[in-house]
Amino acid sequence: MTAIEPAHSGRTSAPGSFAPADEAGDSLRVSAASYRSSRLGVVLQTAAALMWIPQAALIGLAVGGIAAGEPARAALYPALAVFVLGLLRAALERSGVRIAFDSARDRLSQLRGEAIAAVAGRSPLDMSAASSGHIASALAEQAEAVLPYLARFQPLRAKAVVVPAVILACVFAFSWVPALILLLAAPLIPVFMALIGWRAKEASERQLAEMGDMNAFLLDRLRGLTTIRTFGAVDRTARQLRADADSLRVRTMAVLRIAFLSSAVLELFAALGVAMVAVYVGFHYLGQLDFGAWGGRLSLAEGLFILLLAPAFFEPLRDLSTVWHDRAAGQAGLAALEAASASGIPIVGRAEDVAPPGEGRRALSVKVEDLRFRYPVRDRPVLDGLDLDIRAGEHVAIMAPSGAGKSTLLALIAGLAPASAGSVRIGGEPLNAATAARLRASIAWVGQPPHIFPGTIAGNVSLGRPGIRTRDVARALKAARLDDLASARGASPIGEGGVGLSGGEALRLALARAAAGQGAGLILADEPTAHLDSETAAEVIEALLAVSAGRTLIVATHDPVLTSRMDRVIDLSARQRAEVAA
Amino acid sequence: MSRFRHLGPVLALYRTGDRRMFLAGLVMALTTALAGAALLGLSGWFITASSIAGATVATALAFDVFMPSAGIRLLALGRTASRYGERLTTHDATLEVLAALRERLFRGLALPGAARTLAMRPSRSLFRLTLDIDALDTLYLRVIVPAFAAVGTALAVSVALGFIHPLLGIGTGSLLLAAGLGIPLLASRRAEAFARRRAHALEALRSRAIDLAKGQTDLLMAGRAGAQVSAVTAADKRLAEADRALNRIETDAGFAFGVASAGLLAGILLVAAVLAERGTIGAPAAAFAVLLAMASLEPFAPLRRGAVELGRTLLAARRLAPRLGGETVEIAPQEPARAAVAIRLSDVSAAYDGRTRRALSEVSLVVRHGERVAVIGQSGAGKSTLLLLLAGELPAAGGVIETLPATLLTQRSELFADTLRGNLALAQPDASDADMFAALRAAGLDDFVRRLPHQLDSRLGEAGAGLSGGQARRLALARVLLRDAPVWLMDEPTEGLDGQTARDVMARIAAGSEGRSLVIATHIRREAELADRLILLSGGRIVADVARGSAEYEEMISRLRPD
Repeated sequence: MTAIEPAHSGRTSAPGSFAPADEAGDSLRVSAASYRSSRLGVVLQTAAALMWIPQAALIGLAVGGIAAGEPARAALYPALAVFVLGLLRAALERSGVRIAFDSARDRLSQLRGEAIAAVAGRSPLDMSAASSGHIASALAEQAEAVLPYLARFQPLRAKAVVVPAVILACVFAFSWVPALILLLAAPLIPVFMALIGWRAKEASERQLAEMGDMNAFLLDRLRGLTTIRTFGAVDRTARQLRADADSLRVRTMAVLRIAFLSSAVLELFAALGVAMVAVYVGFHYLGQLDFGAWGGRLSLAEGLFILLLAPAFFEPLRDLSTVWHDRAAGQAGLAALEAASASGIPIVGRAEDVAPPGEGRRALSVKVEDLRFRYPVRDRPVLDGLDLDIRAGEHVAIMAPSGAGKSTLLALIAGLAPASAGSVRIGGEPLNAATAARLRASIAWVGQPPHIFPGTIAGNVSLGRPGIRTRDVARALKAARLDDLASARGASPIGEGGVGLSGGEALRLALARAAAGQGAGLILADEPTAHLDSETAAEVIEALLAVSAGRTLIVATHDPVLTSRMDRVIDLSARQRAEVAA
Repeated sequence: MSRFRHLGPVLALYRTGDRRMFLAGLVMALTTALAGAALLGLSGWFITASSIAGATVATALAFDVFMPSAGIRLLALGRTASRYGERLTTHDATLEVLAALRERLFRGLALPGAARTLAMRPSRSLFRLTLDIDALDTLYLRVIVPAFAAVGTALAVSVALGFIHPLLGIGTGSLLLAAGLGIPLLASRRAEAFARRRAHALEALRSRAIDLAKGQTDLLMAGRAGAQVSAVTAADKRLAEADRALNRIETDAGFAFGVASAGLLAGILLVAAVLAERGTIGAPAAAFAVLLAMASLEPFAPLRRGAVELGRTLLAARRLAPRLGGETVEIAPQEPARAAVAIRLSDVSAAYDGRTRRALSEVSLVVRHGERVAVIGQSGAGKSTLLLLLAGELPAAGGVIETLPATLLTQRSELFADTLRGNLALAQPDASDADMFAALRAAGLDDFVRRLPHQLDSRLGEAGAGLSGGQARRLALARVLLRDAPVWLMDEPTEGLDGQTARDVMARIAAGSEGRSLVIATHIRREAELADRLILLSGGRIVADVARGSAEYEEMISRLRPD
């Protein structure tokens, strides 16, 4: 990694303008893996499970009393106590689960919040950033898998350690033989599961992930429906989809046949454990197994108590195995969230919303001195020692071959990435962490391609900015020559990502956005006429000039028609140090 | 119940599937639950009986230990076996239904109306679809199987207890069924609205996150990034509220189960004590009753989760049910009556849903056999709409369309996660390898494919990942060549390709389209130059129609983007 790679994440504001901030927000950065489920929640859930021990004792005593010929009255108090303990157990369980859930849910919101803030504050020049699709999937469905993992798996794992140990101790107090049976069965479970189990289970999880690929297969074909339809291949594709799914089923079942053996082992040991305890106790009463009860003889109540505890001994292990798949998905979700909030190149200042300076706007000058920028993975800076002096109200074209840093320069002027060295002044004010958000509010941006948000054309122009009224939107649409389209479309929403809008229309929408921001004294436009036919490009140029009247305009372009309409053309390659221009 | 009516088409999939598998899963789940209850009941009886018998040596020796202890071991092993079988059959049945569901859905979504909705909002629609499918997956495993096993166990336990005493059987049975079914039903009713809210919040969270990530620069520069962050956070907050509400419902249901099972346990203890006091039953039967009852509420527990998730399943069923009944309709356009005519449009208009302005107004056009036509015009003039009409993707709002069978080359190369052979066979299922290589040669991709280790059997990633833009274009072109249709429709066939590749692709289109009619929608000079005729669209109308060689043709060509 290079020296300019900032060590801090996007959430912390960079102190001092372009100097890479050294103090990382480590205190804020609690590793996702370090989360431990709420202690209280785990304690309550464990306590609830342990309530079964006195309940079992009471049931044993009551049945023992019945066998001893005691009157029915004698069973009243034990029965009542069993009921009350049952209520207590249910209440403890409910509170424990809720507390564990709430704490896990809060943790999920916190992790999401960190990732969202990181995404908002990440520089668009950060090439290492995940794609928007990955980010959306990390924040939505993958993050969802974190919740069951934190809320269920972790408490159950704690329970699976404590509860069997306590039960074992209780059984041991009366007789060591059943305790030994349980003790032998319990470690054998993980051993056998390890032998055929966990690994096969993970294989089955991979297989189930492949089942998820069946969705991917369907989605892949749905994305190319037009082509499938033009080839008259709907029926064939549907049959292929079915055949693939069927063969996947056969393969999956082959894996599951082995994978389910692991849970069968658990079931087998749990069932055999109960059976062997019952058989031992029975034969003990009959005098055939006259050992194990510390020299004495078990009473019926004690025997029943031991029997009732046996299934409860295995219960937490069985519970844990049912949520085992939550673990893999949850850990993958945590990793995805962590990746989404990983620090790359941050923007200058914070991603905070500052109100534009209002009606009293003025055109802004731009002064760039000795500016340098290098992408982290590249050897050589893309900009080095660049000086620019653009007067307020001037319209300037930045020319350079593609890849020579035109877009990078615009991003640096807008504070969308910290420069490696040098300074930017806008309207005489230095751009730094303290001023960036405010300065950005007086800059309008025309990107290529602009992002079209779901909603109407008018909504895409105003973007919900406070202070932009309906007539501002109408004026902006007129300036960008979109008023005809807007009135034709009316309130009907635009398709996702601008489906149904042509490239020229999308660009004019971005111009209207810039025009609607009354406070902007500087317009930055990145190749606004690229990929447009000459007539559409001519219209965009007229609209751009109309919107830029009375403001400073810096446009990155290699369109000769556009540059001919500017006050000045700056050739970027001629302005830098020789080694870059070479 | 009306809230369950949309489940019909989904349940129908189980009926058409392997019914034996479906039933076997149910029976084995029930066997597992019953064996578990019987194991506990029998163990309790055995211990108690042997304890009484063991009081004297004589009774101890007379006591038959073989039957009960063998029964206990048999139940322990049987339970394991049936549990294993249950898991296998229920998963197999689920997987089979999943396969059928995906096939049906694909057919339903391939119908023109559904396909257009999908094209407008692909990522949202596909995300929703994925979650809906997953929600339906859980119906059998989480709801039907546990419900059957639980009810079956409750009935069997009631009958067994009924032999001890009729009232005991009736009482236990009614409590088990009332609590065991009533609690999940109530929970599912309470959870439905929150499950719906949760699904909507998750969709909102996702689409807002996409807007934040994709539109970040536009938002930052408009001073709205903070607002968008708040919007995503607000969606998470709504999601959290719904999550919390669902958790409360589930834990309430769990509490209610806990109360019911405590009540059942205490009640059975008392009843057993009373019956024993009267001499109706002995202590072993009392122990049997108590332990059996204790185990009988267990199978109802998984229904809690199923009940809470049922709301999501119902929402999914409501959304997907209309797509499950669809029959596949292949497009069959009317062919022109006159022999020399390939395409004839008479006063054709077209409009998109929800828009007031027409995309095309009263367009009339005749394209002869072998004629090459370029449709030019500004962005939004109606070029793509014209192609969609000819391809049968968009129904005409008025007028008559006649065309020979046409093949559309879409603007984006629509390739699939399949082998190269699979991608090509889409156009022509009977094509031989020689046919495919001939088409690849004509498209300029045969050398590349021959150099691949697996040649035609090389796999592409999702949406054709693994090929460059130029290669993807050539493969799409090869597919069109293989189709051998008399009419080719091409939407900006070289958009996004570098100049050299683009010119080569155009030359191959020129060669391949010999003897066919060709309609190209374009704004690039190199594409339009291929045409014998230029048609200029403006505002959805034909404003110029000029033939090669005329001064207007040259003038219109010169106005197009050079490269």
